[in-house]
Amino acid sequence: MSDVLWLIPVLPLAAAVLVGLFGKLLRGQSHWPVVAAIAGSACVSLYAVVQLHHQSGPVAVLRSTPLPWFSAGGVNIDFQLVVDPITAVMLTAITFIGTWISIYSIGYMHDDPGYPRYFAVFSGFVFSMCGLVLTDNLLVLYGFWEGVGLCSYLLIGFWFAKPSAAAAARKAFLVTRLGDAAFVLGIFLLWNKFGTLEFEELFQAARAQPNEPILLTACLLLFCGAVGKSAQFPLHVWLPDAMEGPTPASALIHAATMVTAGVYLVGRTMPLFVAAPAALATVAVIGTITALLAALIALTQHDLKRVMAYSTVSQLGYMFAALGSGQGDLAAFAVTAAIFHLFTHAFFKALLFLASGSVMHAMGHVIDMRRIGGLRKALPITHWTFFIGAMALAGLPPFSGFWSKDEILAVAKEAGHGSAYHAAYLFVFYGLLLTALLTAFYTSRAYFRTFWGPEVIPAEAGHHGHSHDDHGHDHDHHASEPAGPGVAHESPFVMTGPLIVLAIGAACVGGLLAVTHGFAHFLGHTSDFVKYLPKHEHHADYGLMALSAGLSVVGIFSAWWIYVRNPKTAGAMARAVPRLYALSQNRFYLDEIYGWLAVGPLTAIAVISRVFDMLVDGIVDIIGRVPRFFGGLFRPVQNGLVQFYALATVLGLVVFIFVLAYLRGEKGAW
Amino acid sequence: MDASIATLQSAFRQGAPEAVLILTAFVVFLGGAFRPGKLVWGFVCLLGFVGALLVVLWHPFDLSKCVPTVSVLWTDPLCHYTRIVAIVGGVVLLLASWDELPHTQAADYFACLLILTAGVGLVGAANELVTMFLALELISIPTYVMLYLPRTGRPAQEAAVKYFLLSIFSSALLLFGFSYLYGVTGTTNIAAIHEAFARREVTMLPGLVMAGSLFVVAGLGFRITAVPFHFYAPDVYQGTGNGPAALLAFIPKVAGFVAFIRLLGFTGPGPVLSAIEVGVEMPLLLWILAAITMTIGNVLAVWQDDVKRMLAYSGVAHSGYMLLGLAVNPYLADKANGGVPAILFYLIAYGAMTVGAFAVLQALSTDNRAVSRNDDLAGLAETHPGLAMALALFLFSMIGLPLTAGFAGKFQLFVGVLSTTAPAESQMFRWLALIAAVNAAIGAFYYLRLIGIMYLRTAIRPLPGRAGLTGVLALAACVGFTVWLGVYPAAVVKFTRNAGQAAYPVHHLAGRP
Repeated sequence: MSDVLWLIPVLPLAAAVLVGLFGKLLRGQSHWPVVAAIAGSACVSLYAVVQLHHQSGPVAVLRSTPLPWFSAGGVNIDFQLVVDPITAVMLTAITFIGTWISIYSIGYMHDDPGYPRYFAVFSGFVFSMCGLVLTDNLLVLYGFWEGVGLCSYLLIGFWFAKPSAAAAARKAFLVTRLGDAAFVLGIFLLWNKFGTLEFEELFQAARAQPNEPILLTACLLLFCGAVGKSAQFPLHVWLPDAMEGPTPASALIHAATMVTAGVYLVGRTMPLFVAAPAALATVAVIGTITALLAALIALTQHDLKRVMAYSTVSQLGYMFAALGSGQGDLAAFAVTAAIFHLFTHAFFKALLFLASGSVMHAMGHVIDMRRIGGLRKALPITHWTFFIGAMALAGLPPFSGFWSKDEILAVAKEAGHGSAYHAAYLFVFYGLLLTALLTAFYTSRAYFRTFWGPEVIPAEAGHHGHSHDDHGHDHDHHASEPAGPGVAHESPFVMTGPLIVLAIGAACVGGLLAVTHGFAHFLGHTSDFVKYLPKHEHHADYGLMALSAGLSVVGIFSAWWIYVRNPKTAGAMARAVPRLYALSQNRFYLDEIYGWLAVGPLTAIAVISRVFDMLVDGIVDIIGRVPRFFGGLFRPVQNGLVQFYALATVLGLVVFIFVLAYLRGEKGAW
Repeated sequence: MDASIATLQSAFRQGAPEAVLILTAFVVFLGGAFRPGKLVWGFVCLLGFVGALLVVLWHPFDLSKCVPTVSVLWTDPLCHYTRIVAIVGGVVLLLASWDELPHTQAADYFACLLILTAGVGLVGAANELVTMFLALELISIPTYVMLYLPRTGRPAQEAAVKYFLLSIFSSALLLFGFSYLYGVTGTTNIAAIHEAFARREVTMLPGLVMAGSLFVVAGLGFRITAVPFHFYAPDVYQGTGNGPAALLAFIPKVAGFVAFIRLLGFTGPGPVLSAIEVGVEMPLLLWILAAITMTIGNVLAVWQDDVKRMLAYSGVAHSGYMLLGLAVNPYLADKANGGVPAILFYLIAYGAMTVGAFAVLQALSTDNRAVSRNDDLAGLAETHPGLAMALALFLFSMIGLPLTAGFAGKFQLFVGVLSTTAPAESQMFRWLALIAAVNAAIGAFYYLRLIGIMYLRTAIRPLPGRAGLTGVLALAACVGFTVWLGVYPAAVVKFTRNAGQAAYPVHHLAGRP
């Protein structure tokens, strides 16, 4: 059975290769292999979940037969796929949501000249992401980590002719690279210290020497990798710009899956982090700062997709805060909470992005909330699905987000008890509570501004057949058209179908899994939990639940009050605190600060480097000329005369004879 | 005595695959004289290859009843390997040179290719100095003809004549070396020669053994283009067509290295290693040969502005890398890592990337315009993106980047060089590894330069050529092997390890009266 697991990564890879090679022939039909392959992977993943569920004993795990890749000398490298409950949850999220997003893309990317390219990269991404969660080895994980980064780069810059898309792709690539550099250092450090990169062996080694100071450094370096990939403060700046890519790609990569790779990494290596409490506290604080900061920024953004992007950053911060709260015997509970939130978030955030994409599609790619409004009549399906997603994100019971958010708050509340980092965890808990309120507010704000109030439809609406995400098209051209009410059409079924499916997921998944404790039981069979993380009995905290639900209701209600009931208050409030408003509107000027901090000094360094480079270059040039020089010495020998070649052969032979004879004479062996 | 007679009688059965190839060659020669035609004779030739391959795969010969010191042929795993590589290589070479062949001479070319393939198979099987020499000539003689068939201008003429003269010269050197070995040991059977060495019957004449071995090395060095026996390669590759050049870059190297392994007793039984022990300087000789071959090949390749000449020198350099395996083999504690299996692996990897590179040149060339200057490839990425990508893959493999065949091959060779245990030797081989690493860096320079020309410059005169069906098939095979060996080398590693194991069961040698 276990060898069926190979199908999970291999199917999308095959589809990617197929579409990549024969895209020109397939053209408008390029989606078939990709959708079929990802759906196939999803089926196998679900099958793996069922198998794991039926395994008896404390540890549930599926392993494929190892495939020897390379062995020479003492080095043996095998490929093995390992599916334990954490991996199974990730796989389900990736492939199931990936399937629906790929179907949605059929409608969204329709008529794009890069149609095959889009699907090839999309499928390649699913392959890399599956590989990332399927490996039992940090080195292979890193390989796929770079693989998903590459696919992300290609999709952000999908419309590379558009300068802003190219710039965003470059920014995403370079910023995540900063984190990756630290990640690689962390891997080296672990290899150097423990001589292995397999998770199981690493965990054993870490348990054998618990107070190893290297562990703290290594964990922090691994976390740096996660900070880059999962867009945490201070490296979060790339994610909002990444929305330049096609919306479905943003939904899959920059909302549901790839950005959670960092959460997965920390969750997976939790047995190492547990041995370094300071690292955990750092994770929690960084996560909380990110959650709070991103929520504050999201309050004032006008671009619907950007609101969603900042909310993704904020929710990822939530997950890290949960992971970081896993001090002592809370560790397994913390990982469960984080992965649970990751899972429900994947559903409702993918849904919100796809629904935003549907709005964009109908509005002729206008996504500025100042220019649209009151769309609940024009786009009924989009409206209802967006509503469900928004309520899940706002944490309103009984939608999914409420349950997972509640677990995170519970972990954060307990983490402070008896910990050396009491103050830090107090900050974490209250920070998260405040974030929950802000989340409910900005989500509802986006919802009400888009779907309620008087109907405002931009002139571009109805043009979507021609202009696609304004790639290569002139922005100003549209803007200069006489503003008049456009016509809005609900998106085709191929797009609304996935919305409905994901909406059902966003509405029910969390409640079903939380009330039955199914999720916690399932994850509890992960071997890392059973072997390396202490057990912890958690009892439902109804007071906290009520508090979280209350915050959510307050947030939603105040948004309704401000944006629907008294639409004038919004402007008045913004004018009342102009400084704060500007701070949030301009994303706390972080991009500008980075521009200052990084670009200025870097230019100076670049100038110095240039001078240095000229020096070194000269030296390298000289070294580079050495082979050429020696070649020049021998070149005249190759004079084209056959008799000379024969002579040279004989001379060479004679030299060999004399050398060997001389050596032999030296040894006295004659 | 019965066993010896049975062994001698088995020679024909052991040579069955070669018989299939040669019989097909006769049919093609005869038929081609009456009715010239590319398609029909090419097809017959392919059938011959397939038939021979089926015989190799499904008719393994049982050696257990044979006496190695009597047998003329010895169809052990090394021979099995050689035959498979020769036949698969023959098919790819046939496809690669298809478009270049004139209609009227195609049959002759195909028949020569069949005979040459049979020759390679026989080199793998040869267990007699005489058989070995004949097998090597069976490769050389058709080559003379093939060099001249596709192109008949003055450069091709010059190339053929040069190769002819130097080849017979090297055969003479080889024969001279063989005569010394015979003179010292009193037998022409290779197994018996090694046994004589092993029993130290000949330690009285170490000087003669050394001289004989040296001439053998010189004779075979010509085939593998070891410096200073390499001079013909650039001139001949440049003058002749792409198909024969690919053939010349690949086939003689396979035959040469297999002959080396056989003659120097590298697959002999375990520690009783023979010519090496007697002529203690042999490893040193191979060490020097490897070092200068790599270095001269690479530094001269840097100067070339003709792709075919560059590939010739790069072939010299790759031979140098493979000589690393020969030099280090006697000192390896674990013969399965590095040494002979690594050479056998590298031969396949080298074949795929080199034949592939020539196939790209062939696809770009037309009758009126032979593409071979570096500048001809400028802007190839725009005019022929597929071919440019294939050529870039082959060049990456030659550099030895991970996930290509070249990396897997170089990795094994380097692991071998670095895993000697004896202190004195390991010092010596570390130096060799350093030289090899510097050489790999020099190599990267000129390969990357070519990739830069293809991808960063714009075309001066766009190339008209397009790959035909056969060319595409040949390229697909080469790309397939390059990727396969790089991405998942385990299966081929197993195959080459099996081929590099002991050729003669120990009890056969020990139990001789």
